[in-house]
Amino acid sequence: MIEVLGVHKSFGSLEVLRGVSLDVAAGEVVVVLGPSGSGKSTLLRTINHLEKVDRGYITIDGDLIGYRRRGGKLHELKEREILKQRRDIGFVFQNFNLFPHLTALENVAEVAGLADARHFLERVGLADKADAYPRQLSGGQQQRVAIARALATRPKVVLFDEPTSALDPELVGEVLDVLRDLARSGTTMVVVTHEIGFAREVADRIVFMDEGVIVEEGPPADVLDHPVHERTRAFLSKVLS
Amino acid sequence: MTSGTLTPPSTKDDDLSALPVVPARHPWRWVGVAFVLVLAAQFVHGLVTNPAWDWPTFARYFTAQSILTAVGTTIVLTVAGTALGFALGIVVAVLRMSKSPFLSAVGWTYIWAFRSIPLIVQLLFWFNISYLYQRLSLGIPFGPEFVSFETISLISPMGAAILGLALHQAAYAAEIVRSGVISVDRGQLEAAAALGIPRLRQFRRIVLPQAMRSILPNAANEVISLFKGTSVVSVMAIGELFYQVQVIYGRNARVVALLMVATVWYIILTTLLSIGQHHVERYFARGDRR
Ligand SMILES: Nc1ncnc2c1ncn2[C@@H]1O[C@H](COP(=O)(O)OP(=O)(O)OP(=O)(O)O)[C@@H](O)[C@H]1O
Ligand SMILES: [Mg+2]
Repeated sequence: MIEVLGVHKSFGSLEVLRGVSLDVAAGEVVVVLGPSGSGKSTLLRTINHLEKVDRGYITIDGDLIGYRRRGGKLHELKEREILKQRRDIGFVFQNFNLFPHLTALENVAEVAGLADARHFLERVGLADKADAYPRQLSGGQQQRVAIARALATRPKVVLFDEPTSALDPELVGEVLDVLRDLARSGTTMVVVTHEIGFAREVADRIVFMDEGVIVEEGPPADVLDHPVHERTRAFLSKVLS
Repeated sequence: MTSGTLTPPSTKDDDLSALPVVPARHPWRWVGVAFVLVLAAQFVHGLVTNPAWDWPTFARYFTAQSILTAVGTTIVLTVAGTALGFALGIVVAVLRMSKSPFLSAVGWTYIWAFRSIPLIVQLLFWFNISYLYQRLSLGIPFGPEFVSFETISLISPMGAAILGLALHQAAYAAEIVRSGVISVDRGQLEAAAALGIPRLRQFRRIVLPQAMRSILPNAANEVISLFKGTSVVSVMAIGELFYQVQVIYGRNARVVALLMVATVWYIILTTLLSIGQHHVERYFARGDRR
């Protein structure tokens, strides 16, 4: 479903991604772990072309993201075409980024019909908050609206960039419940998170990143309980203690 | 150790909620109020008793037909100058913020040029344009409403005044719109882009409504200053409010009374504008209420 191949990305002289390759199958849930600054957010943002890659490429369902292959060359797509591709890729931000001047329902309806919007709000358990403005919602509720909005374009994959790290501890659970639900219903998901318990329970595969490369990947039981690499071990011992 | 002396003072014994509350007092506020009231009373007393203010003349002219017509002209100039100025200002702001260096330079140059030229100079220039270009048909950049005119003689003094006010206003409006747009959180654009919302719709539905929060107070300032600034076009002998009172006191020499006629009209209309501003701002603050 998602194919990331040999992706490099630098900001100025800082090389943030140094050749990342990752395949995600349809219906698979991949959790990305790694220390701060290791390039997790950057990787997610290249997948929906919020960041342009310097080298390598990304496809979703066989479609090249951001480029078209013609005559042995990659032609950059027009913004309009990129925007259209992004409707296949849901993105959930750490700090929600809801539109503050629109109600919960209007936020979702911005990219879907009203009936659909209501359906997705219901799916995240917020049908009764349809007419509330983001400011009137708790952080957990705001993130659930953001998830409903990301689902409303009926994307093929959904990317989550630390969806719970801006939340008070007691609100983390309600958002993880929604993610769990999505995973169970067969949504293809890539989740960057520091919630190890959630990773262990929900992930089909865990990917550990450090310094712009994927150091280790595999089923949760392997990566979390029997990490092969020193760096993985060091990271896990820090977050698990 | 004797018990009793060691027990900490307990609030249970003297229930605080039963005590009456004395609000904090602000004696200096009352001194200030008294001071201002005395000054105001003196001022009003002077207005009423000093015959030099000449209230009978004021009353005779305040609703005179010529004055009402002039008020109408002032309103037309303000409304047309504002509407055209802000429409053009949005276009210039979009140019200025364009990723294309050329378009951005065009926007920048427009703002630079029209902020540099004093309004009165610009107005006189348009008023006298027929001396400059007698035989040319006119194509004004950013001014499509005038492209269709074939000959210069078709630009009436009123048309020239509106053109001048609008072009001048557009430069300021552009900067106000731009400041509003850059005040919108980057995450909003990222979210809109991630959702694949088309560019124009992003601007119209996401950016502009949020930018309005900071655009509005500045824009209201501009409208009010344009409204009073229309008095500048009196140099073009257009019968707006200020020109009209000048004509009348030129005839009857009742300068103070007629200036008061203009002043009171300016105050009334500015008040209406301020009330309008309050309501529009409240509309765009939706989502900010709890
Ligand atoms: N737009 C940018 N310009 C310059 N440097 C950037 C930019 N975005 C990210 N970086 C840098 O790239 C590196 C990787 O950032 P990234 O956000 O991908 O890390 P991360 O793994 O998501 O970290 P965290 O867990 O803190 O979110 C960091 O050193 C960051 O400072
Ligand atoms: Mg990050």
